[in-house]
Amino acid sequence: MADLGLVAADLVVGLMLGCVFAVIAHGLNVIWGVTKVVNVAHGEFIMLGAYGAYYLNLYLGFNPLLSVPVDAAIGIGVGFLFYFGLLHRELRGKETITRESEMVTLVATFGLSLILSNVALAIFKGDAVGIRWAPETLALGPVGVPLGGLYVAISSVAIIAISDLFLSRTYLGNAIRAYSQDIGAAQLMGINPTRIAAIATAIGFGLTMAGGALLTVWLPVGITPLIGSTYAPISFVIVVLGGPGKMWGSLLGGLTLGILIDVLPAFGISTSIAVAVAFLILIPVLLFAREGILR
Amino acid sequence: MRIPRMRFPTFGPTLYGLALLMVVLGIATPFLPIVAKVQLINFLLFVGLAYALNFITGLTGYVSFGHAIFMGIGAYALGGGIDRLGFPPLLGVFLGAGLGAAFAVGIGLVTLRFRGVYFAITTLVLFLAAKNIVPEISQLGEGGGIFMNLGFQPLAQFYTIWAIVVIEIGLTYWVTHGRLGYGLRAIKSDEDVAKTVGVNASRLKLSLFGISGMFTGATGAVYAWTLSAVLPETGFDITFSLRMLAMIIIGGAGTLLGPFLGAIIVYVPYNYFQTVQSLLGLQLAVIGALVLLIALFIPTGIVGTVRRYVPFLRRYIE
Repeated sequence: MADLGLVAADLVVGLMLGCVFAVIAHGLNVIWGVTKVVNVAHGEFIMLGAYGAYYLNLYLGFNPLLSVPVDAAIGIGVGFLFYFGLLHRELRGKETITRESEMVTLVATFGLSLILSNVALAIFKGDAVGIRWAPETLALGPVGVPLGGLYVAISSVAIIAISDLFLSRTYLGNAIRAYSQDIGAAQLMGINPTRIAAIATAIGFGLTMAGGALLTVWLPVGITPLIGSTYAPISFVIVVLGGPGKMWGSLLGGLTLGILIDVLPAFGISTSIAVAVAFLILIPVLLFAREGILR
Repeated sequence: MRIPRMRFPTFGPTLYGLALLMVVLGIATPFLPIVAKVQLINFLLFVGLAYALNFITGLTGYVSFGHAIFMGIGAYALGGGIDRLGFPPLLGVFLGAGLGAAFAVGIGLVTLRFRGVYFAITTLVLFLAAKNIVPEISQLGEGGGIFMNLGFQPLAQFYTIWAIVVIEIGLTYWVTHGRLGYGLRAIKSDEDVAKTVGVNASRLKLSLFGISGMFTGATGAVYAWTLSAVLPETGFDITFSLRMLAMIIIGGAGTLLGPFLGAIIVYVPYNYFQTVQSLLGLQLAVIGALVLLIALFIPTGIVGTVRRYVPFLRRYIE
């Protein structure tokens, strides 16, 4: 039987890791849920967000939490560019987004991810960098809680809560939800579909890059141009687990993955098997709960 | 009612052209300098992979990001066969093909139920899971891989991969021009409608996924043979998945000539960029740019687009 103190410590770390997973997947969740576009280049934008936080720290001395709003603002700009540069051609004037459009955007963003990751590799080189920012550790009995991770977890939950409130309580949020449910009906209600899709994409990108900034706290010496290929699949799994378009689904999926990856090793299972198990959870979920765990 | 057999009085020019090219390659290669032999082997590996993925992604429209999983299975089958069972390399390639097909059928039974992006994501996830699990298995050399002391056998390798490609081209022709082709085109355009008109979609998809896994496994085994080693990183290399997908998207998914064209377009920069210092590492970025442009502007790839806009060539390329 595993040591209970160890399990508790791993559970705490797993919960915090889950929160950061949730926030990096959240942008994908918004874009996928609203525009039905699966951004394969998602990981690369997380990577760009992480580099944004790194350079803000290097030149302006920002800590990762401070660079979140700056990254989000950049991400919103990038999101508009992405929408009008890439998605608009495919989504313009469509009342239902067919599987064919889904596949076109899937392949197109796949091309984009190849471009971004390899150009980033040429520019940033393969060396891992990181931000020196480590607030002290809070001791809770036998369990030490690193404050940096705790701040990130709180920010993640706050971001998800705010996005949920935004979608359910504001006019723009309702318009976005209407668009995601039925484009034709939303248009009849006087909603401009292009505007809504562009705004939703931009918000998604802002969230993605902000997530990249928060992720740097977990990567004190591990920001490389290739982190995208690690975190993109994690994000896909999280969004499918929670169900695309469900805001709290990100948190649920993120926590599931974080806890599995961190707690299974306490029971003597190696980390890589734990990661494999966390990924493979996807298959039973898809088989038995196609729309995600959340109803 | 039986669906009538699709009639093609003669083999098309594309098939003749490809067959001629393969025959010329088969006859000329023993006389070529050693550098050219190695280049041709590597090129045919790309062609083999492109045709293998074409069976599932090209013909049914199911995009797989995880095909490198079958390469890894083939590579480890060859390594295990040679190192543990004392097989000759050729038998190892057959083992790779068999295991590739078996795993593909097993994986396909579950994953082919998922459509569109869900299938793509599931294949990616399965690949990552396999990549994480394999180095943990002590019989497969753990993270250290398996080293085979095979020596340098360019001709044997060449003719193995040559035979694989020839079979793939023939099978692609047979599948696209036979009765199966109708069903496949129906699945690709609308699977639900295809089912209602009596296409056994699940069986068709599963057989193609199995064929695809078989050829990917065989090609992966030959790749490991050329490296004379199987490592988790070379066996389960996601960039191969990405290149395979890029090749058939660029060339034209589901066509007979497309994968070959795509393999040329992907292989040339892959090979050339490695010799130029300033371009090193940018090959995938260039390929990505091509994929992006093709997906947005000409989603049917080179072959599909030429067929659409240049009517008089329609007779010659398919």
